[in-house]
Formats: sequence, structure tokens, C-alpha cells
Amino acid sequence: MTGTPLPDVDAIRALVGHEFPGGTYTIAHWENFLLTACTGADPLPAALAHPVALFHVPILGARTSIAEMFALGQAESDFSIGIESYDWELLRPLEEDLPYHVTGRITEADRVATDKRVYDRIQFQFDLHQPDGRHAARTTITWHYRRNLR
Amino acid sequence: MNVQPGDQIPSWHMPSVLASRMQTMAAILRDPNPVHWDRRVVAKLGYGERTINQGPLGLSYMINMLHAWVGPTSIRRIYMTFPKVVLDGDDIMAMGSVTAVREADGERLADCDIWLERPDGDRPLIGRATVVIPS
Repeated sequence: MTGTPLPDVDAIRALVGHEFPGGTYTIAHWENFLLTACTGADPLPAALAHPVALFHVPILGARTSIAEMFALGQAESDFSIGIESYDWELLRPLEEDLPYHVTGRITEADRVATDKRVYDRIQFQFDLHQPDGRHAARTTITWHYRRNLR
Repeated sequence: MNVQPGDQIPSWHMPSVLASRMQTMAAILRDPNPVHWDRRVVAKLGYGERTINQGPLGLSYMINMLHAWVGPTSIRRIYMTFPKVVLDGDDIMAMGSVTAVREADGERLADCDIWLERPDGDRPLIGRATVVIPS
């Protein structure tokens, strides 16, 4: 049985520098309440947003989506993505009802071949700024797009 | 607050990871991956009929541990790796220890190793955190 054809490695490498449109994202109270409940914690005081929001707020705020990020790396399927790491830098606590300005880009993309498997390693980086311009957070997502799973 | 290298962070317990919480997370995250909400799909992957916890949700248990230890505005950085999956029904403990204490930009910081641990000692998530030590 043959696997899915490998995407052109140059097309993968050319992803470096790709900028998402960017935009703003406001964490609503209901959203923070439900997110926090999912973690098993009580709501935080003083309208603080739970830092778990640092996964979806950068992605959606930059005007992309998990599905688009899968597609950019030509994922073979939803099951072919592996997480290398998430790196979250919190320069200021996250708050509800604050319109964060979000930017995002692809910072690394290349093919990795080991004796066991082949994957494309793609790194996404997002920045959140408060309305007054202060840097609130930077997140870095590094995923492996595994190839030839069949 | 007195914090020293080698200190153990008080653990935080998630006695049973719930599939219903993964479903809510998937909706908020707009995450189309069925491994988080369709047990039949996961069964075909060989994990049994149990949905796979979102990576950020597992990470959040360690955030809750750190919040309970040093407060809800204390976290400065978290770096997380995901060697294994967490499944619905898993009994998970968030744990950690202090590796260094240092000063930076007028703040006392603690660098920590943090991880999730199953009752058999298996560690599905392993990472590091930096937190501000409250005075």
C-alpha cells in the first residue's frame, strides 16, 4: 500500500513569512466563564481571563482557524497533526471585555526525516496587544504534520 | 512567600477528565477535529471509545495548580510538550517543582518543572513554567 504523496518541500518552506490578516478579539464574560469551567476551576477574580484562552484567542483574533492552519501545512487528515510544543508568554494578565489587537505569522517551516518517520514541522507565532498598545502576550505553536501515515 | 529550589508545588487534582468539557472546548475553539468529541473516531485510532483531551485543556490543569499556589496573575511563561494523550475518564494530577529562583525586572521569579501525572506515574504532558513569587 502506498502513502499519500508528500507535499512539495519548497511549498512547505515557502510558508515562512506567511502573515495572517490580523484583527481584534474580545474575550466575553460568558466565554471566559465556560472556558474556566472546562478547566475545572472556579472563575478568576476581577474579570481576569483564564490563560487557557491563549490557545484560541490568538488564532481566531489573527483571523485564521485551526482548520486553516491544518490546510496551510497540507495536513493529510485531522489525525496527522502532532503537537511539538506550546510556548505561552504572558506579559500582562488577560482580561475580559478588552479588545486585543492580534497579529500572527508562520516563523518556521521545514521537512524533518528520521529513520522512523517523515513530517513537516511548522511554527506559528501570535502577538496580543492591548488597546493602549502594550504587549500582552506572545504564543508560539509548533506542530508536526506527519506524512505517509497509511 | 518563601520559595526555594527543590520545593514541590502543591498538586492539583482532576479526578476524571470529562468528555462533555472537551465538547464545550471544541465549540469555543472552533476545533473541527473529531478526536475531541466523537468516541467512535477515536476507537478507530486504537485508543478505545474515549475522546482525546485538547492539549490546552490538559495544560490548563497546570495553570490551575500554579494559580492556587502563587495567585491568578503570577504566570509569566509556560512551555509545554505533549508526549502522550489524555483521554476522557483519566485520573490526572497536575504537579511541579521549583528548579530556580531569580530576580528579573524587579520581580522575584521561580522557574519550575511542571507535568501531568497518572496514578501509575505516567506523565502525558511535561513542561516548564516561570511564575512571579508574591512578596
